[in-house]
Amino acid sequence: MEFLGLVNYALFTAIFIGIYALLALGLNIQWGFAGLFNAGIAGFFAVGAYTSAILSTPPDDGRIGGFDLHFVLGWIGAMLAAALVAWPIGKICLRFRSDYLAIASIGVAEIIRLVIKSEAALTNGARGISGISRPMGDIGYMESQIAYLVIVLAVLIAAYVLVERQFNAPWGRMMRAIRDNEGAAEAMGKDVEFRRLEAFIFGAALMGLGGALFAHFNRSITPEAIDPMVATFLVWIMLILGGSGNNRGAILGAAVVWIIWSVSEIATDRLPPEYAIQAKYIRLFLIGLMLQLVLRFRPEGLLPEPLRGDRGEDRRTSKSGADRE
Amino acid sequence: MTALLSMEGITGGYGDADILQDVTLSVEKDEIVVIVGPNGAGKSTAMKSVFGLLTIRGGKLLFDGDDITGWAPNRIVQRGICYVPQVDNIFREMSIHENLEMGGFLKKGDLSAAYDRVYTLFPDLKERRKTLAGSLSGGQRQMVAMGRALMLDPKLLLLDEPTAGLSPKYMEQIFQICRDVRDTGVAILLVEQHAKQALAFADRGYVLAAGRNRHEGTGADLLADREVAEMFLGG
Amino acid sequence: MDLLELINFYVIPGIVLGSIYALGAVGITLIFAILRYAHLAHGDLATLGAFIALASVTALGVSPYIALPIAVIATACVAVGIDKVFYEHLRERPKIVTVMASLGIALMIRAVVQVVWGVDTETYSRGIVRPENYFGLRIRDREVYTVLAMILLVGGLQLFLTRSKWGKAMRAMSDNPNLALLSGIDNKKVVMLTWVIAGGLCAASGFFLGLNTELKALMGWQMLLPMFAAAILGGVGRVEGAVLGGLVVGIAEELSVLVIPSEYKAAMAFAILLFMLLVRPTGLLKGKVL
Repeated sequence: MEFLGLVNYALFTAIFIGIYALLALGLNIQWGFAGLFNAGIAGFFAVGAYTSAILSTPPDDGRIGGFDLHFVLGWIGAMLAAALVAWPIGKICLRFRSDYLAIASIGVAEIIRLVIKSEAALTNGARGISGISRPMGDIGYMESQIAYLVIVLAVLIAAYVLVERQFNAPWGRMMRAIRDNEGAAEAMGKDVEFRRLEAFIFGAALMGLGGALFAHFNRSITPEAIDPMVATFLVWIMLILGGSGNNRGAILGAAVVWIIWSVSEIATDRLPPEYAIQAKYIRLFLIGLMLQLVLRFRPEGLLPEPLRGDRGEDRRTSKSGADRE
Repeated sequence: MTALLSMEGITGGYGDADILQDVTLSVEKDEIVVIVGPNGAGKSTAMKSVFGLLTIRGGKLLFDGDDITGWAPNRIVQRGICYVPQVDNIFREMSIHENLEMGGFLKKGDLSAAYDRVYTLFPDLKERRKTLAGSLSGGQRQMVAMGRALMLDPKLLLLDEPTAGLSPKYMEQIFQICRDVRDTGVAILLVEQHAKQALAFADRGYVLAAGRNRHEGTGADLLADREVAEMFLGG
Repeated sequence: MDLLELINFYVIPGIVLGSIYALGAVGITLIFAILRYAHLAHGDLATLGAFIALASVTALGVSPYIALPIAVIATACVAVGIDKVFYEHLRERPKIVTVMASLGIALMIRAVVQVVWGVDTETYSRGIVRPENYFGLRIRDREVYTVLAMILLVGGLQLFLTRSKWGKAMRAMSDNPNLALLSGIDNKKVVMLTWVIAGGLCAASGFFLGLNTELKALMGWQMLLPMFAAAILGGVGRVEGAVLGGLVVGIAEELSVLVIPSEYKAAMAFAILLFMLLVRPTGLLKGKVL
């Protein structure tokens, strides 16, 4: 029985790693490729989760939706919705330095959270939406987890292949050229603003998809399902630790950070109950500290950005020759 | 007589590339020396090397008896060399008086003698000393920039293209100010794009091209030199 | 609703809240101007200040107003310490890296507060405080102190920036950092001064928020957006702008419940932020655009 519990836990963990890896991939497009600082990841995640929930659940009193569509349509809807939210934000903020985008994205995530909590007609408010069908959910417990893991991995691999191809294609090279030397790219006639918007929207869509995957795994979605700032921060450190600009790094980072996060939870669960609440915050402190250490000692991450003839230095986080500001 | 400033065989650049190759020049105590040359000759770079803004890979810099090769700008300022960059050389959001005050930041003690000195040289500025520097005309801003640099009573003043973008009237005014400054005992090394006018008013000049010395002599001599004239004094 | 009701229930709370925002926004605008990045840990620094004051009240049994200077000094020290330990090493890198680090620092500060003081809501003193009546205006003492403190602190800062040598040095660094270096102004000292001021003001901001409402671990983080909106509204780098921005955001937030559902009060700051970025990124008083 111990063994079965362990296997189930491993499956559960693997599924979460898959979902977070998808989020990290999305962030890699925004930050790794295009140099955009999105601190509102949780917002796009939530949009995706709720959109898919609304589209694919049966009708329910008191809220709209209930289209009872197939989950694939729900997931596609999730991506579209996240992209639609990203578009106006991008249009307004991407012209400015990343600092302003950081603040604005924090704001967006906050607004989304408020909307989710308050518009009961849309989202069922604090109660959330339940009864979301998990694909292959009707077979046995462990079997259903295995099945879902396969689905998540399939989605992740598809996303990875797509993004990796784009990365190596002229599009990817152009994005990085814009990121590293905007002036020169502009001089060459590249439409910098449009390209950035593209990257922002693509990344957001992947984050929305991650949210949808989560909602269908969990079979429900509530405003409290994830702690927005914790989730956002976890994805950031996953990408930085794994290696920004590197798709495999994003996935590796997701695995490493999530395992550390889960294992630390197991460890602190063994503490006496008085310390239980503090334990969570101690873990948060340590994760925050981990980011500082990574930024200082290994900013390129575990898997640095693949060489493109620039000596492999991570332009965005390592020493810059002249201060560009 | 040893020169005030002596640049001997300086080779160096900003990053890995060397812009200056074995450049030699000197400035005496009471003279105005100008560096001229075609675009990309390394004139500004040569000046920046004096102020410690360059990676020097060969040669020596001697100033007033000290070897200042490799010194940081901070230390060089305190030793008696002040530098006026070509652009961004004033604090736009601060008044003229505050600009001067910042120029004299490193001075311990009372600044009133320094203010007097600068305002005597630039009476126009004294009238307007509470005006924001950014709202002044180009010529007045250049005066503020020079005034800021003079607050620490330097022995040598470095001016990077002080007449860039100025009308002929202001250009003449700046040259006159340079002479006035020199007459107060400050040596001046300047870089100029307007070679003809600069050589006419300077005591001596150096012509640089492609990071190397090409010609040197008094202003008059260089003006009269055919090769120099061909090189770029055409217009 | 008549004018007096409007003033008592919306404008006065707006001015109080605005003063609290202003204290934070001034720090943010200084850091933007001199260090040139968005400091995302600013809100949580305010939380820390508020809780340090609380600790002083419970440990030393003093009135909150005595605890305030203690909190100001302590938070200033923490701010300088954070810079020395975490931000200083990132100075050669692109600024966005420090922004990223500050997001982590925000989380860390919040975690410390949650570990040390728990997650329950606290207050400086128990009991209901009834407002006094001044010719129909209903104002509580603490509200007066809040606005007064803001005026004194910011006024003092302005005097420092315009009259003292180091204050001018800060303005010089904000204006033209290269020229400031060429003039021999010590960058490290200016940076330290900036953190002392920003940290101290943060403590005051958090303290007065706690005084007028209550203390909880997320209080500062929830102020982050309004503080940034205020700084950008006023014009980055302009201290008077940050005060003006703070007041506008505070009053707008309070007034907003008249037209939008009260759950969305927090969205007001965001709307102002986006609006300014769209229409006039230099802000009302023409600051910089980073």
